[in-house]
Amino acid sequence: MSWKVCFLVAILLLLIVPLARAESGQALIENSASFDGKTVTFTGEVIGVLMRDNYAWVNILDNEVAIGVWCSAEDARKVTVIGDYRHGGDTVEAIGTFRMADPEQGGDLDIRADNFTVVAVGQELSRSPSLPLVTFSVVLMIVAIFVAIFLRHIRKEKERIVPWPFH
Amino acid sequence: MIPALTREDLKIIGYNLSRISYLMGGILLLPIIVAVIYREIDTIPFFLIGASLAFILGSLLNHFLETKKEMELKHAVVMVAVGWLLAPVLASIPIWLSNATASYLHASFESLSGFTGTGLTVATDIDHLSHSINFLRHFLQFVGDGIGIIVVSLSILGKTKISSVLAFKGEAKELGIRPSIVRTSRIIIGIAITFLIVGTILFAAAGIKEGLNPGTAIFDGLNHSMTGYATGGFSTRSQNLLFYHSVWVEVAAIVTMIIGALNFNLHYAILGGKRKEILKNIEVRILFFSLLALGFLVSANLIFSNLYTSPDSLFRKGIFHVISGQTTTGFQTAPPQHFMLLWPAFSMIVISIAMILGGCANSTSGGIKMVRIGILFKSIVREVRQTLLPRSAVVRGTFHNIEDTLITDTMIKGAAVIAMGYIVLFTFGTMITVAHGYSVESSMFETSSALGNVGLSSGITSPSMPFVVEVTYMFLMWAGKLEIIAVLVLMGFIILGLRKGIKK
Amino acid sequence: MALRKFSILAFLKKNFDFITGVLGEIGLTVLIMGAALAICLLLVFVKSVI
Repeated sequence: MSWKVCFLVAILLLLIVPLARAESGQALIENSASFDGKTVTFTGEVIGVLMRDNYAWVNILDNEVAIGVWCSAEDARKVTVIGDYRHGGDTVEAIGTFRMADPEQGGDLDIRADNFTVVAVGQELSRSPSLPLVTFSVVLMIVAIFVAIFLRHIRKEKERIVPWPFH
Repeated sequence: MIPALTREDLKIIGYNLSRISYLMGGILLLPIIVAVIYREIDTIPFFLIGASLAFILGSLLNHFLETKKEMELKHAVVMVAVGWLLAPVLASIPIWLSNATASYLHASFESLSGFTGTGLTVATDIDHLSHSINFLRHFLQFVGDGIGIIVVSLSILGKTKISSVLAFKGEAKELGIRPSIVRTSRIIIGIAITFLIVGTILFAAAGIKEGLNPGTAIFDGLNHSMTGYATGGFSTRSQNLLFYHSVWVEVAAIVTMIIGALNFNLHYAILGGKRKEILKNIEVRILFFSLLALGFLVSANLIFSNLYTSPDSLFRKGIFHVISGQTTTGFQTAPPQHFMLLWPAFSMIVISIAMILGGCANSTSGGIKMVRIGILFKSIVREVRQTLLPRSAVVRGTFHNIEDTLITDTMIKGAAVIAMGYIVLFTFGTMITVAHGYSVESSMFETSSALGNVGLSSGITSPSMPFVVEVTYMFLMWAGKLEIIAVLVLMGFIILGLRKGIKK
Repeated sequence: MALRKFSILAFLKKNFDFITGVLGEIGLTVLIMGAALAICLLLVFVKSVI
């Protein structure tokens, strides 16, 4: 009987206690009014760090939507890789207060982080040139130069034989 | 009676288009320098392919359509209209090859948005774009809108002929700087480079102050200066200027946007010593009044709807977006979706009006333009005075735009025709957008943004936007850039060809 | 070949109109921003009073 009770309690706990779940950038942007002032968890890739004395802005990208997180400089220094063309940035999780128009930050949309963790370190992205494309581009350039020279030669020959305006 | 089209007409247009094609080839090679600096060797083939295709096309047009006949006005206008489609098509090749957009249609949209100085973007993952492709996007705005491809081609490849003058006018630019069209073109480029340098210094300094490393600050600063002066609005970041969370970056942006919205003739006069023109000029006065009046309306609406309640947030959100809209730049410091979902409808409508009004004539701005608004307003005043005065009285209206100019009926007619054209296209674009399920105020906002070549977005423009809406906005961007008349002349040209055929 | 002495003063004198023109245009934008900021301050004041 006791295992049945445990099972029931577990089900009840799952229903009552909300699981800590990261909000998507899309959800935060589209439902800003309902999230305003609430504590949210936001996870994504770091695409920018701007240090401001004892604080910093860390811009985090989650599936095409980026949000700025205002955190301590100490937290920001945990970020080692910033996302760009050659790098996938660190994946971080920020837990803090969401503000759709933060009056202390000139009305910016932001998250004032109370907790900031690097979940996964970023990595280098492979961007090697495509051999077929390189070959095609070189061949095409040679063709372009050839066409220009050839047509210019024809035009010069034409002018020599039949001067303008008698073409 | 309008004469039928001949093969010679098509030859004249095609032959002169070869110049645009050659120019595009040169432009598409420039980002290779950026690719080398940032060691993005894998992107070099994209530019080589695009440039090669442009050069091949230029060579073929130049050879097979060779003619010594001069362009007439109709040829020049059609050539400009077609050129402003040809150039973005060629520029879209590297953008598409780099997978910056999801499809070739999106790449064409992006390229056209760049060239026309609109700034609406459908690029995916801007934050992971290569420096070279990002540079190309911004450079297209600087060359296409900041200077004008016809202007560039004239200054590099041009000769002072009537045909050049006509092409210059076809790009919706008026003469007035110097007698020689080539010299005028070079002066326009000189002014653009001057303010590009000024803008880069301002943006870079702001970026470094606000925590960017110098290399990034200079790269971002150069690109934002290009699009700020060109009143284009593309950004190196997906968040646009919100990425920086910085009032100093926004101030740098405002400086470049307003300067970009001023008349080239005014720049020439002021930089040549006529400093009093800054405040005497009618367009500056109307722009000043308009920005403050519309800024007041938007800020009042925002504060009383409790969205932004502090002075700095009103300035950085309300005033900033009015300036961005009226100068037709499109820099944003709020997420696009917020315009649609959070901003009150009244503010959206006011900013839509600002976008349609636009900046000064002969500037990088779009819209109906301040001088036309001024002419139309003064004509209304003139009409009222004429009615109140005795029949025999003659009421003259003048305005000061570098020099005192009498308002003529021809001017009023010209201004009214352009304004009417904008209103018709605005209505058309809004209806198409609303028909796809978007709200009226968002549709008005996005349509005026495309037509006025602004770039502020309420979120309708995205990689997932409906096909018909995307093509409609491409048409509006193109028509708006050419101030509608050139597009109508091209349509007339095509209809004439279809009706009467093409004679030998 | 003798190098011409570069004098900042001479450069400024020669390009005086150009430099003051650029500064003048920047000044215009500052004027617009100042007026706009004044409007924002006024609105906040009005709201606080209402």
